[in-house]
Amino acid sequence: MGPWGFVFLAYGVVWGALLLYLALLKRRRRKAEADLSRLGDGP
Amino acid sequence: MAQTSQGKPRRVLGGLAFLFILLGLYFALIEAPPDAYQGEVQRIMYLHIPSILTAYLSFLIVFIGSCLFLWKRERRDDILAHSAAEIGVLFTGLTIIEGSIWGKPTWGVWWTWDARLTLTAILFLIFVGYLMLRSLVEDEDRAAICSAVLGIVGFIDIPLIHMSVYWWRTLHQPPSILRPDKLPWENIHPSMLIALSINFVAFVLLYFYLLSLRFRLGEMEEEAKRLKLYGGSAKLTAMSMSNGGA
Repeated sequence: MGPWGFVFLAYGVVWGALLLYLALLKRRRRKAEADLSRLGDGP
Repeated sequence: MAQTSQGKPRRVLGGLAFLFILLGLYFALIEAPPDAYQGEVQRIMYLHIPSILTAYLSFLIVFIGSCLFLWKRERRDDILAHSAAEIGVLFTGLTIIEGSIWGKPTWGVWWTWDARLTLTAILFLIFVGYLMLRSLVEDEDRAAICSAVLGIVGFIDIPLIHMSVYWWRTLHQPPSILRPDKLPWENIHPSMLIALSINFVAFVLLYFYLLSLRFRLGEMEEEAKRLKLYGGSAKLTAMSMSNGGA
């Protein structure tokens, strides 16, 4: 692999992982919101 | 209502982070010159230094949140420390991966048991242990207290990581920016310093955006647990009353 290959590998891994974490956080948040509204409507 | 008032600054923060990330990518991959010795591969530095400094910032917040929790026993401080630990582990893990990718073309190896690398791996493992402790100990108050102590102890590793390149003979180079003997612009070309600074700002903005999202999630999970507990006790009371109990 050439020098740019290592550079793009590093940038790809970092920004890919950060985007994945952001997407997971948003999904967990939607789930928590759904839980809260369900519990709020309950007895 | 409170959620709406928190949502707008968070969106602004997210927008600013996005702008700085684009600007940082432009400066790191196009505008900054290649290094005289390492060539193009040195561009990994614009990720590597901001990500480890962001991890340090995150563990500083864990340290502060843990101290405040042990002192005042307020749930918000524990949620803050827990949120910061999760994001800190992510940034530390990414720093180790970037360093490994940078190490292969410059040192010829993906990994070596150098003092700085080993201490960074220990920092990563300490805070992975912190997160495992939170999920494995069932008594939440006990888990919060134990992890707060671990968060404080774990933070001590950071000055060791920073000073390791002076105290031991290491393969890792000395710091480029935070040096006790030189100012940042005396050690690095201004065009590289500008690219590094923009990327650092981008990482810090992104970090606070992620932290605000994670903290809000922690608050909502706490509220859901409280409601479940309240709902459960309300149901038990109703059952005992219908059975003629107290």
